[in-house]
Amino acid sequence: MNVVTNDNIRSTIALAALHEVIDPEIGLNVVDLGLIYQLDFDEAAKKVFCTMTLTTQFCPMGESITDAAREALQTSFPDNEVSIQLTFEPPWRPDNISEEGRQFLNM
Amino acid sequence: MFAPGGNTGLSSTTNYRVVLPFYIYAAFAFLIATLILVFHTGDIARHYFHPYTLAVTHILALGWGTMIILGAAHQLVPVFIEGRLYSNTLAYASFIFAALGIPLLAYGFYTFNLGETARTGGELIICAIICFLVNITISLIKSKSENVHAVYVFTSILWLLITASVGLILLYNFQYNFLPDNSIDYLSLHAHMGIAGWFLLLVIGVSSRLIPMFLISKYSNTRLLWWIFVCINAALLSFILIFLYVSEKSLYLVPLLLITAGILLYANYCYNAYKVRIRKKVDEQMRVSLLAILMMSLPILFLVVIVVLLLLAKSENISLVIAYGFVLFFGWITAIILGMTFKTLPFIVWNKVYHHIAGKRKTPSPKDLFSDVIFKWMAISFIAGFLLFVIALLLYISFLLKLATVLLLITSFLYTWNVLKLITHKPAKI
Repeated sequence: MNVVTNDNIRSTIALAALHEVIDPEIGLNVVDLGLIYQLDFDEAAKKVFCTMTLTTQFCPMGESITDAAREALQTSFPDNEVSIQLTFEPPWRPDNISEEGRQFLNM
Repeated sequence: MFAPGGNTGLSSTTNYRVVLPFYIYAAFAFLIATLILVFHTGDIARHYFHPYTLAVTHILALGWGTMIILGAAHQLVPVFIEGRLYSNTLAYASFIFAALGIPLLAYGFYTFNLGETARTGGELIICAIICFLVNITISLIKSKSENVHAVYVFTSILWLLITASVGLILLYNFQYNFLPDNSIDYLSLHAHMGIAGWFLLLVIGVSSRLIPMFLISKYSNTRLLWWIFVCINAALLSFILIFLYVSEKSLYLVPLLLITAGILLYANYCYNAYKVRIRKKVDEQMRVSLLAILMMSLPILFLVVIVVLLLLAKSENISLVIAYGFVLFFGWITAIILGMTFKTLPFIVWNKVYHHIAGKRKTPSPKDLFSDVIFKWMAISFIAGFLLFVIALLLYISFLLKLATVLLLITSFLYTWNVLKLITHKPAKI
């Protein structure tokens, strides 16, 4: 799934960091799961905006996953303020899973 | 392109301190119930209206099944309704009332002293249910969304309150004899309200959300869930009306057909969720939970035989009735708890232990917090003990019956061991 961004270089750094954030139930990282929708960077205001979703609105690990994503981005961009926007519109679909993710899940 | 929801959709999880006591209490209640079963196997197999049978049934229904459901519901309902639990204090009160009331009631049955002690136990249990009902109702009123799962939970709590109130009335009737018939004649009314109204409705309401979620399946069918809801409630209401006002026994086939339809529709719901699952490899915990759904058909089969015999021979077969009760409490109710405990509790403990370090360093997954080997042996001893008990009970083979109870005791011991292992989990030092 393609992540919408306004800065391809910073987005690559951010996605590498988010690759380390694992959904504890599935065991797959949030990038390959297709949970990351959008990454925006405001250089002047020193802000990072991440729009993401969860596999289900009722995910018991939701808070932990979003906190871990915030922590990962904060570590990569220590001088920036990180904002995580959670959305369920559009809802997550299995089609969002990357090729690597599909292999991991034996899909 | 994407509609940002701010921080919407994520409700703060209920504090683990509220939830864990229910799980610990339930584990020990299960252990005690199986111990009584081992020591009084012969007496329990003799009649359903025996002090030890009544004690074991109530320890299982309240101490085991209800306590764990109360704990899980305090955690899950806020998630379902995208809101918060209204009051932790009410949750603690609910636990304390139930934790005190259940042993008093069970002791009353065990010693067959159905006076003050048992009645106090019953009253405390009703206080616990009222606290739970108020807490969930206000949480629902304050929540952002209404959904079919929340309606299931709310309705099932109402049935639980009615069941417990009828139970208390029956206890008073033992001493003051104010009902037209003996208390024993109302037992099936009391039992079926609890089984179908409380356990069945609540388990379907909650598991219809959890099973697709844990299978990572996008299947959902709200319309079907509403039909199941109608079938089960119609079955229960028609059963009550026939029981109280109609003497024609053949009419009992109406609630029987309705409940069968409800269960078959739910089995179909779970099968559809299973078919379109993303995670192809189904773990042991989900297998046991799905087995529980299949096991729902067993009590229906026993009920069909009991009703047919009642219509033809005009008498009830005691062994069949005991086997029916056994396949309910030790069957699907126990199976779904055994499976779902190790799907829900690891998340609660994981959030407690690892939430603050998630993303900062590598953490184990929730399923690493308990022993898979212990779980596997627990599942094997449970299935073996369950099957052996039913066969031995129907064929009157006493040594097999004893062996079956020992296997069930092993099940409860392994379950408690794994629950304690999970709850006492500490993060590895760096």
